[in-house]
Amino acid sequence: MDPDIRLIERCLSGDEAAWEDLVRTHTRRVYSICYRFTNNQTEAQDITQEVFLRIFKSLKSFRASEGAFNTWLTRLTRNLLIDHYRRGKMDRATDSIETQLPVMQEKASPTTRTDAMVASREASEILQAALQRLSPDLREAVILRDLEEMEYREIAAVMKVPEGTVKSRLNRGRAELARVLRRQKVVV
Amino acid sequence: MKCADLEILLCDYVDGTLDGEQNAAVEQHLAACATCAQLARDVSTAVVFTAEVEPVTPPDELITHLLFQVPKAKAHGVRGGWRGMLSRWMEPVLQPRFAMGMAMTILSFSLLARFAGIPERQLTPADLHPARVWATVDDRAHATWDRLVKYYNSLKVVYEIQSRLSEWNEEDVAVAEEPPAPVPDQNEISPIKPANQGLAGEGSVVR
Repeated sequence: MDPDIRLIERCLSGDEAAWEDLVRTHTRRVYSICYRFTNNQTEAQDITQEVFLRIFKSLKSFRASEGAFNTWLTRLTRNLLIDHYRRGKMDRATDSIETQLPVMQEKASPTTRTDAMVASREASEILQAALQRLSPDLREAVILRDLEEMEYREIAAVMKVPEGTVKSRLNRGRAELARVLRRQKVVV
Repeated sequence: MKCADLEILLCDYVDGTLDGEQNAAVEQHLAACATCAQLARDVSTAVVFTAEVEPVTPPDELITHLLFQVPKAKAHGVRGGWRGMLSRWMEPVLQPRFAMGMAMTILSFSLLARFAGIPERQLTPADLHPARVWATVDDRAHATWDRLVKYYNSLKVVYEIQSRLSEWNEEDVAVAEEPPAPVPDQNEISPIKPANQGLAGEGSVVR
């Protein structure tokens, strides 16, 4: 049995510790998707809270026969992100980001762990800026596959499109991402 | 292999999950098609880059907020028995939006009842008989129509228009009843004699 199903059953029976386990298990993933999509910590926190609030209220309507809890959770997160985007709360990238992206120097091999951590953080910042250049469809495909490591069929269930469409969007998103990195002379 | 076919297989090719035959077909196409080769390089670059990024960590206060601020109402268990069945059956109906709709429906029916002339008293089953309801509504409709017609006819502008129309009708009737103008006598003007009478005289017969 899916471990999340056990947690849900315990939550529905009034076990408060189960709710805590559920929150601690899934918060990182939900917040990560929200932050990658919005590039704004405050908005990401707000949307994450909204996601868990809705889960708390509608937990008893979850049916295990309809799919995994993780897929249901991700779909809910994705729908809220799309609604948020459509409401126009996100700042559209009107200014050119070419002047904002730092140039990342290639290192033959990271000599110290500190350098590798710095490079990883810089890559995250560069990626955040580059993701904002993608359309929402391509952006969510890249986030769910390359950053959250979801399976293609899971992503297809979340986005409610065929697997082929998921792969097509993923390729276009990755290609666009690579073009942005190339324009910024980011050496990978 | 076409470029459209490669685009579908490219994800699995980058993941390394293609079988030998498909893998060879993809590599053969990539060797022949510069566009697809560039696409494959871009996709690989993006995959490698995203694998290097630092994972996102939520702030600690967020988890605290989710645990303690989100209302932790007691989880509703499934109640058994007739109470549980009744509550489950009535749950879709007992919502604020439906309560508002029901209130408006009751108000509308009360207004209709007042207009239809249903007396304000305790209703009896006889009052709800369809024939009686129909007769009441029909009487009220006819009475209302008569009042409307009377009101319409009593309007000043309508009265004036009707008066003018009746005057015009009377004029037309008067014109129609006037005796026709006398027609002039044809004998007095120029008697025209027949041709045979002019030669043989009156009353004679020409043989």
